[in-house]
Amino acid sequence: MVLAIALGVTVSGGCATFSRDAGFGTVERLAGERLDKDVKWQRSDDDHGSVRSAVKEFLSSPLSIDNAVQVALLNNPGLQATYSELGIAEAELVQAGRVTNPHFSYRRTSEGGERKIEWALTFPLVDLLTMPLRTRIEGRRFEQVKLAVAGRMLDVAAAARKSWIEAVAAEERVRYLEQAMLAAEASAELADRMERAGNLNRLDRMREEAFRSGMSARLSDARREAVTDRERLTRMMGLSGSDIAFRLPGRLPELPADKADLGELEARAMTGRLDVRAAALETERLAESLGLTRATRFVDVLELGPAATKEDPAPWKRGFEVSLQLPVFDWGSARVSRAEAIYMQALHRVAETSVNAGSEVRNAWSAYGSAYDVAKRYRDEILPLRKRIAEENMLRYNGMLIGVFELLIDAREQVEASIAGMDALRDFWISEANLQAAFNGPQGANP
Amino acid sequence: MMSRRQFLIGSGAALAGAALVSRAQAASLPEAPVLEKAATQPPLIPPNGRPYQPVVTLNGWTLPWRMKAGWKEFHLIAEPVRREIAPGMTANLWGYNGQSPGPTIECVEGDKVRIFVTNKLPEHTTIHWHGVLLPNGMDGVGGLTQPHIPAGRTYVYEFVMKHSGTFMYHPHSDEMVQMAMGMMGFIVVHPKDPDRYRVDRDFVFLINAFDIEPGSFTPRVNTMLDFNTWCWNSRVFPGIDPLVVRMGDRVRIRMGNLTMTNHPIHIHGHRFSVTCTDGGWVPQSARWPETTVDMPIGSLRAVEFTADAPGDWAFHCHKSHHVMNAMGHGVPTMIGVDQRGVAEKINRLLPDYMAMGERGMAEMGEMEMPLPDNTLPMMSGQGPFGPLEMGGMFTVVKIRQGLARDDYNDPGWYRHPEGTVAREWAGEEK
Repeated sequence: MVLAIALGVTVSGGCATFSRDAGFGTVERLAGERLDKDVKWQRSDDDHGSVRSAVKEFLSSPLSIDNAVQVALLNNPGLQATYSELGIAEAELVQAGRVTNPHFSYRRTSEGGERKIEWALTFPLVDLLTMPLRTRIEGRRFEQVKLAVAGRMLDVAAAARKSWIEAVAAEERVRYLEQAMLAAEASAELADRMERAGNLNRLDRMREEAFRSGMSARLSDARREAVTDRERLTRMMGLSGSDIAFRLPGRLPELPADKADLGELEARAMTGRLDVRAAALETERLAESLGLTRATRFVDVLELGPAATKEDPAPWKRGFEVSLQLPVFDWGSARVSRAEAIYMQALHRVAETSVNAGSEVRNAWSAYGSAYDVAKRYRDEILPLRKRIAEENMLRYNGMLIGVFELLIDAREQVEASIAGMDALRDFWISEANLQAAFNGPQGANP
Repeated sequence: MMSRRQFLIGSGAALAGAALVSRAQAASLPEAPVLEKAATQPPLIPPNGRPYQPVVTLNGWTLPWRMKAGWKEFHLIAEPVRREIAPGMTANLWGYNGQSPGPTIECVEGDKVRIFVTNKLPEHTTIHWHGVLLPNGMDGVGGLTQPHIPAGRTYVYEFVMKHSGTFMYHPHSDEMVQMAMGMMGFIVVHPKDPDRYRVDRDFVFLINAFDIEPGSFTPRVNTMLDFNTWCWNSRVFPGIDPLVVRMGDRVRIRMGNLTMTNHPIHIHGHRFSVTCTDGGWVPQSARWPETTVDMPIGSLRAVEFTADAPGDWAFHCHKSHHVMNAMGHGVPTMIGVDQRGVAEKINRLLPDYMAMGERGMAEMGEMEMPLPDNTLPMMSGQGPFGPLEMGGMFTVVKIRQGLARDDYNDPGWYRHPEGTVAREWAGEEK
């Protein structure tokens, strides 16, 4: 009968069995919905092989930002490690849906030729009674883990995106600086020849020389930064061996024709952000947990089971044994208080998370908007103006109104403006990545 | 050659009354003709008053007048003008009656002149009659001898031309700005006796300078010495007309210097003497021969010579920067600097770049390269033998046999008699 009860409870407890994908579907769904990308949990050699060939394929041509994100999602080893948390959480959920093993006790005593045998088979009754509640709690916890893992996945995607932007921009900067270096070299070489021809004094020649040296140092610095940025991207994509020779495109993507129209920012943040959803789940879980604590405040261990005693020469007496640990000293109120405090804390955390979510999204939106405006100003006004200034300067050089040094100084300024324009475009794409991240919530949230 | 009548009809569209003057005033004011083109106008044969031998204003004209009850009445309008400095460049200047410099005022010793001055400038002005001896209240020094003429008002100056000679007019009211903007004009007072100091051709021009940034139109009025547009009558070569002279003519050239530096003006192929200054005629005994006259700042000089050598003779300021148009004074000297290799490097950055100056700057005179808007090449002009490599204060005195007495039309390049042109030495001649 008891077993029947226990079985019945277990069945009505529901989902305490292992799923086919350990909840990876949630991660896959989020990757598809939000990133339009595939994810893969590499759990077998076959999985590994298919990822390897997909990565090879992506790396065979200059790596676009989308492909960089895709490779990171398939291949980032840290992310793969995170996926295992799903399995761990699910195991705990399944465990919660199982009753603690029955407890069998047997005691034989003899007292002056009088023997006494007692045995009892006891089931943890509280386990049975609270199993639905605990299963629900662990179920929510599993959901939280799924959200957290999905968050990490989005985190990797965002980080890969930013790394790609930084790496491409850093290589582009090197190329611009190489042009500025060309101008500095031409100036210095010309100055050197002019000094040798007797047309320039040593002081002026050395000034050009000093400029060339300074520019050369700057170029070295930029090259080092480019390596750093590229290596960060390499790590994000989990690449090693010959794969690290991947090629990047020469330029950042063009500025979009228009700013994104995001409508109701805060509403989108509330429904979309994983941290808000995780915080809400947390309060639900804690509410259940609080209920559980209330229900079990006096009953720490309540066990029920069939029992039998035999006192020789009397026959076996059968019955049930219920053992109960009474809270003589611990009335459980401290535990209830703690649980209540934790619950209240969680409620405030939800409030904090939602306030922050709104604020972060507005902030990211503002940064995105101004970065767009700055990049657009560079594209539509500053760079065309610099080009026309260069043309006007050439006309002045033609008319012998200015000399070759002024022309070269202007060429360097034009390069600097191009670098500033490229920086503005890079900042825009980073702000765009930040905006997407703000809609997803801070990543790496604790489960 | 145009007669006075043709001149007035021919430029009828350009001649207009002063719009600012009220109807009541206008009824009593003489005509204020306006000239819109920069070409040298034929001499204005005096239609009335005392007779005289008129002058030719280089790239300018003489202001017509009317006689009224024994007074010779002129009407000057001070106003903003657009002046062609040379084909390819115009400037926003201030001047008189449509031009800068304003028209030449010609009259005769003893003339009673009444000069109306209407101010259409955005600020007040006056006119000082430089060198003319006149009553103190007519001297045109704003604040000192008269109130400044407010914008929109007409003032009148009345005096008798006591002495013949060479003079000029210019503002004495915010004069730094107004002269930097081109306000000036020439005055010639002819002797009562037309045969006294008589010459066959009498040219006049003012030496003036502007600082007009390449690509812009309005002079920088605060520049003191670093001007870049060195003009005769607000024109630069190749925009300065030639001085056309009939072989054997007695020629006078009257010049006034309203720049902030001196100008050694030099003629080729002839000797001249200074015969008149803004102080009056130089006695015969005090003249000495020269080929260069140094034009002091704020002074006038008339030089005379007999055109006894046919040809195209250069006539120019001898400050060599003054025979250049706008140029960069800070441009480094590239002479003798081998730019090979470096030029290619620069070309990778600036595809239109071309190494220049390695063998001097003469290539500037030969090549036509795109320049900033409204900017003349530093040196230009083509002659019969190649590029002239000149700009600024340069023109040619063209002396020819057989020109008509009043013919000032450009006769074209001189055709040298066989064997009279410098040539390449090709060995001992047979």
